[in-house]
Amino acid sequence: MNPSQASSHAIVQGMIVDLLPPGSDATTRIFGPGGALDSLGLVNLLADLEFRLGERFHREVVLASERAMSRTYSPFRDVAALTAFVVELLEES
Amino acid sequence: MSSRVIIITGTSRGIGLGLASHYLARGDVVCGCSRAPAAELEHERYSHFRLDVADEAAVVSMVRTVMRRHGRIDALVNNAGIAAMNHALISPASVARAIFETNFHGTFLFSREVGKIMVRQRHGRIVNLSTVATPLQLEGESLYAASKAAVESFTRIMARELGSSGVTVNAVGPTPIPTDLVRNVAEEKIAALLARQAIRRLGRIDDVANVVDFFLSPGSGFVTGQVLYLGGVSS
Repeated sequence: MNPSQASSHAIVQGMIVDLLPPGSDATTRIFGPGGALDSLGLVNLLADLEFRLGERFHREVVLASERAMSRTYSPFRDVAALTAFVVELLEES
Repeated sequence: MSSRVIIITGTSRGIGLGLASHYLARGDVVCGCSRAPAAELEHERYSHFRLDVADEAAVVSMVRTVMRRHGRIDALVNNAGIAAMNHALISPASVARAIFETNFHGTFLFSREVGKIMVRQRHGRIVNLSTVATPLQLEGESLYAASKAAVESFTRIMARELGSSGVTVNAVGPTPIPTDLVRNVAEEKIAALLARQAIRRLGRIDDVANVVDFFLSPGSGFVTGQVLYLGGVSS
């Protein structure tokens, strides 16, 4: 991970944790068994995150994409996976 | 009432142009779109986006631009639509795809993107355009009616999905209105259709605007998942 990627990673991870319930951290499971959010909570998280990413990085990212849905392991399962997925999208856009 | 921010798709002509003019006259901010320029709409509170409603990237960009400019989106009217009057057995596959792309996928994309904003706002109104061709099951309009049946089903289910978020989703089904969409339909077909209505006349854009006004009104917050047909047609 180069310095730019590391910076984006830290910013994105901070955004995600900030949008999750109090007490969440980089290891929090977001969705699925034992997850912090139900399906409507996940919808709100992704909508809020898309908005914040647009403001911070000036990129129009759609998180619930074919790419996300086709993965064997959901990028929405935990903070680490979602952070990695978002950084991947930002690097491509 | 302060100005509402309303997105209307398909504003270059017909019902979309009429609705945009209607809400501009009421003092609202209107953001419209179409593949063609909106030559007839020049207004300080109107902005036009040239796009295909089935183009995901373009829809995402428009909705987020509107949000950045105005800070909120109060209502979305999914009006953009195309029709092709043909017997199913002589309908090209490309026409079927094009009708579903515009009528259903366009409605879905705008509803998804605007819905995300409305859920965050805890407020919003989505109105989709259907047609009486769906409940009347008109011969020669299988593709158009099927695409609008998809819109109706989407309307009812999305209304449930957003029911707890302060966002309503409804649809209006106009009768034939003298717009470009029905201009090429044979007179005898129009007459046969009117004969199946309780009130046997062509519709007017004002008839549609009246129903959209109702769905958008503050007092309609408890009305969602409904499809209202004009002319006394029932499902």
